[in-house]
Amino acid sequence: MESADPDVDLVRLAQSGDTRAFEALVVKYQRRIARHVARYVRRAVDVEDLVQDTFIRAYRGLSAFRGDSAFYSWLYRIATNVAITAVKREPMVLLGDSAPEERIDAFEPGVSDGDDPERNVMAGQIADAVQRALARLQPDLAAALMLYEVEGKSYAEIARMLEIPLGTVRTRIFRAREFIAKRLEPVLGSQRSRRW
Amino acid sequence: MSLKVSELLDGQFASAELAPVLKDVVSDPGSRDRFTIYGLIGDSLRGNSTPDDGFSLRILQRMRERAVRIDPAFDPLAE
Repeated sequence: MESADPDVDLVRLAQSGDTRAFEALVVKYQRRIARHVARYVRRAVDVEDLVQDTFIRAYRGLSAFRGDSAFYSWLYRIATNVAITAVKREPMVLLGDSAPEERIDAFEPGVSDGDDPERNVMAGQIADAVQRALARLQPDLAAALMLYEVEGKSYAEIARMLEIPLGTVRTRIFRAREFIAKRLEPVLGSQRSRRW
Repeated sequence: MSLKVSELLDGQFASAELAPVLKDVVSDPGSRDRFTIYGLIGDSLRGNSTPDDGFSLRILQRMRERAVRIDPAFDPLAE
């Protein structure tokens, strides 16, 4: 199956009442939404509140999602509204010293959050482990994964670009993820009980 | 199973296949963990290596505590 929005079927399932489908969307997008709202607020605790509010609003209003845009775009717009509303409500608490567009790299939860040095260290270890694994990864597997994750190409586009069957794209992306995941596990091991 | 997890993350299942695959993945802790780690790998490659650190679980817990339900009259983009 190839769709412009990879989440459309998961969203439809969630709209029909399957809460597991929405859970999967939360797990998939929480980090990206956190990074987005962190452009508006300073403290990690505020970021977390705004991310929670974003997903709560998204779930309550899931019927309003018609698929006119990608689900992530819709979620991103909700997060933006939530963050702007919060900043208007408590500007002295939430606003940084500079405009959001100037603060894109100023705060990244877990990376530059001065409140939690342990998370900063962990984020650095994750980044190192992923990069080290990527460097050791078979080039054809790395190419498929990077085209999908970084370049945003669809499976079909990757198949055309690399001149390989669609099924090979699926297995290459899977094998690349699995290769990296096995090397990431020792870094993440102690946190397993704190994940979905 | 991990291949299915990878395909699920990327939206590769047609509507009719999705529900049973999702059920299998969610009911298996190892598959849920793979879903989370594969997502983290993608985000890390895009420059965001933040550990989950219970973040997702707290979102889901807050939704349960508030008994959040889909409300057809609610517009999440309204002020």
